[in-house]
Amino acid sequence: MNNEAFAQLVDAHYAPLYRFALSLARNGSDAGDLVQQTFFIWATKGHGLREMAKAKSWLFTTLYREFLRGRRRDSRSSSLEDLPAGERDPAAEDVERVSRLDASVVMTALQSIDEIFRAPLTLFYLEDMSYQEIAAALGVPIGTVMSRLSRGKSQLRASLDRTEAAGGKVLPFPNSKKSSA
Amino acid sequence: MTIDEAKFILSAYRPTGSDTSDQTFCEALRMAKDDPSLGAWLAQSRAHDSAVAAKLAQVAPPAGLRDAILAGVRVSDSGRSSGLGWGWVASMAAAAALLVGVLWMRAPSSPDSGAATFGRFAINDMVTERHGGKGEPSAALVAELQATGSPMPGAGQIDFEKLRDTGCRTVTFAGHDVVEVCFNRDGSWFHLYVTRRDGPVGDSVARGPSYFKEAVGAAAVWSDKQFDYAVASTAGVDALRRLL
Repeated sequence: MNNEAFAQLVDAHYAPLYRFALSLARNGSDAGDLVQQTFFIWATKGHGLREMAKAKSWLFTTLYREFLRGRRRDSRSSSLEDLPAGERDPAAEDVERVSRLDASVVMTALQSIDEIFRAPLTLFYLEDMSYQEIAAALGVPIGTVMSRLSRGKSQLRASLDRTEAAGGKVLPFPNSKKSSA
Repeated sequence: MTIDEAKFILSAYRPTGSDTSDQTFCEALRMAKDDPSLGAWLAQSRAHDSAVAAKLAQVAPPAGLRDAILAGVRVSDSGRSSGLGWGWVASMAAAAALLVGVLWMRAPSSPDSGAATFGRFAINDMVTERHGGKGEPSAALVAELQATGSPMPGAGQIDFEKLRDTGCRTVTFAGHDVVEVCFNRDGSWFHLYVTRRDGPVGDSVARGPSYFKEAVGAAAVWSDKQFDYAVASTAGVDALRRLL
């Protein structure tokens, strides 16, 4: 891959990769570092990928792995599936509310939900990835992806509820333990 | 299939309608067509998903990230051996020199030595303006750095693990951790970068400071037994000389 082709690859993917990283890392500085590190790994390894059509999936998978590698693991990882999802069906006012809110507030609401739901939700919303593509990118079974999407959306709606109640300030999800990310 | 099962499956149905032909959703979609309450739920769910997706798409990456990615790979590339097979290592070294207008103030033995690479990295990172860190930086170290006339810290004063874990910004250079500490001395901002000697720079850094100047700023690079250091500033080489 030559210089120009690499620049085109960066142009095509750095913005969505940054949004994905921002949802995971929860701060812009770490998100920028994650994106830079992902492209650095591409420069050293990924350019050998035979099918360039898979570059996008490769970049997202690599960024997610780098995020997991970089953050401290703690005991919450094994018990997250047992967390209550804050079940509530979407209502018409939910759509109006999202439309009213600033984009950064919606991103902060997304960042406030549990990490295990955040990654698949971000790929679903921002990348329009199918559940099969998300499963491949994150390395989890399809059924798990569906479960995390369903429960993650409920958490996001609950987080947006609290956002509105707090006058636009996002409060942490009550059942979440503090992330080390 | 129950209503709850249908909702579970349809939660993965993309709001753009890209999954219309996916057999996984067929039965649930048929149920939504036949059941008004489920149909209303699906319509609300898709509208909500579309609204969230549209909002999140408005989040823009920071200015300068693209250039930082490209410059970072170029700089790292020029510091590695030619094992990449890209065929652009040599041209990148020349292009990087043209791009940033490197002016050697005290040249080390090779233009692509570790000191030069580390110095360029420090300057490039400094100008990305994404400083601020993960939390509160080490107050004692910053206070020491900001005191007029005080020397730069040495190995005995650097607790690398503590700096990395307790708040100073940590960036990645060629796959290795580099801790950054920002401080202001006599009205000028300086950015100190510290990495372990067994990291990407290795033994190529001379003990004494080497100075590098680019169009956007300057850096001084030196080392001791444990660490390689670079301090970058837009205040110029003279300010760095006064600092050291």
